Amino acid sequence: MKILAPALLVAVASSQIALSRTVDLTPWKGGGFGMFATLDHAGYRGVDIVVDAPDRSEALQVPASIELVVARAAACPTDGMLRAVAEAVVARERRYQRPVSRVTLTFWRADFDRATLRPSERPVRIFVYDVP
Amino acid sequence: MRPIALRELAFSSQAGAAARAPAAEVDAAGDPRPVRSPVQARDIAMCLTAIALLLRPMGPWFVRPAILAVAVLMILSPALLRSALAWGAIAVMVAVRIADDWPLADNHVYLLGYWAFAIALSLRARASADTLACSSRWLIGLAFVFAVLWKTMLSPDFLDGRFFRVTLLTDPRFGDAAQLIGGLSSGQLAANRKALELLPPGAELLDPPSIAEPARLRLLASAATWGIVALEAAVALAMLLPAPAVGSSVRHAALLLFCGTTYLFAPVAGFGWLLLAMGVGQLDDRQSVLRRVYVAAFLVVIFYGEIPWAGLALDAWRG
Repeated sequence: MKILAPALLVAVASSQIALSRTVDLTPWKGGGFGMFATLDHAGYRGVDIVVDAPDRSEALQVPASIELVVARAAACPTDGMLRAVAEAVVARERRYQRPVSRVTLTFWRADFDRATLRPSERPVRIFVYDVP
Repeated sequence: MRPIALRELAFSSQAGAAARAPAAEVDAAGDPRPVRSPVQARDIAMCLTAIALLLRPMGPWFVRPAILAVAVLMILSPALLRSALAWGAIAVMVAVRIADDWPLADNHVYLLGYWAFAIALSLRARASADTLACSSRWLIGLAFVFAVLWKTMLSPDFLDGRFFRVTLLTDPRFGDAAQLIGGLSSGQLAANRKALELLPPGAELLDPPSIAEPARLRLLASAATWGIVALEAAVALAMLLPAPAVGSSVRHAALLLFCGTTYLFAPVAGFGWLLLAMGVGQLDDRQSVLRRVYVAAFLVVIFYGEIPWAGLALDAWRG
């Protein structure tokens, strides 16, 4: 009885560390108590979106309607999360009757120079979704 | 013959006994006074947790109203407050809230779920108060162990000071403190924020602006970096070391010191309230002074969160 809840905490927090090491889950999220421990958080990671179609190649600003799904993918950029973003982009483009044959997502993160603090954006993962 | 009003005594574990034997106490007019039985620390801990649920409503529409409703009913009804089923339901709803937008829930939401689960289990246990106190110690201790682990071993940019150097400059929630304590002017702060804006990949400024970091600001960043590690490590040790090595007063002092200092700056009052409620869960019924201190600390964290003290002090300082 006494250790069930603490054991659950250890299991979830250990999984969070494993996920942050393997699939880039942000240390701030996922129940591992890594908040206020690193600059690797939502403010300094994101997903860039490029939509391609015949006669079209366009970088999209993240529209409000898919902000949540993009935030989830930025926090944990697994294939599944990124595919969900791509599918949401395709659905939105189709709603506006715009052609789309491929969605390219780039998950990036910011690094800060140790001495000058100067930031730089570093692409970490590229996910290409060909529209079926 | 005067009618005798039997009132239910909130937080009394012996309401039945009180109702059966009220004649022992009468006031000057001869009216019966309700017999007061000691308030149990465990009840205060659960009540503070319910209040914390109300102060920061959480979750999507299909759990938020239910969490709020159960929390209100818990505060109104001592029976529901001590219901394992109700706390189990809260734990399940918190888990649903976490799963619904995984991985975006904050860490204290997880801790709240474990705590609600621990309360539910303790209410089914034979030694309920001991079980709750033990779970509380382990939960707080382990949460702080992981927090220290992240800061000292897993994070690449905490111990070298970068986290607080950048956060003090860019996070608007720390802007007033950076000016008040760090000695930055508002112009420097704005220029620093501009200098720290991200450029597109591969882009580079011809003449990148430098970042103004007065000595006081660097000192503040260092103090925050090492201070938070020291405080969190102290709480972890105090909670997890066995009783002969660490007395109960040391344990509570460490937790109260952490909450009293950290939540003055950290904009996560919900975490503070939860830790304080869990701290009360470790008290025994004789520690009434500490219980009052915890309740006062809970109120202080409310004031920390609601009063923009650094902004007001900054305005006063600048006249």
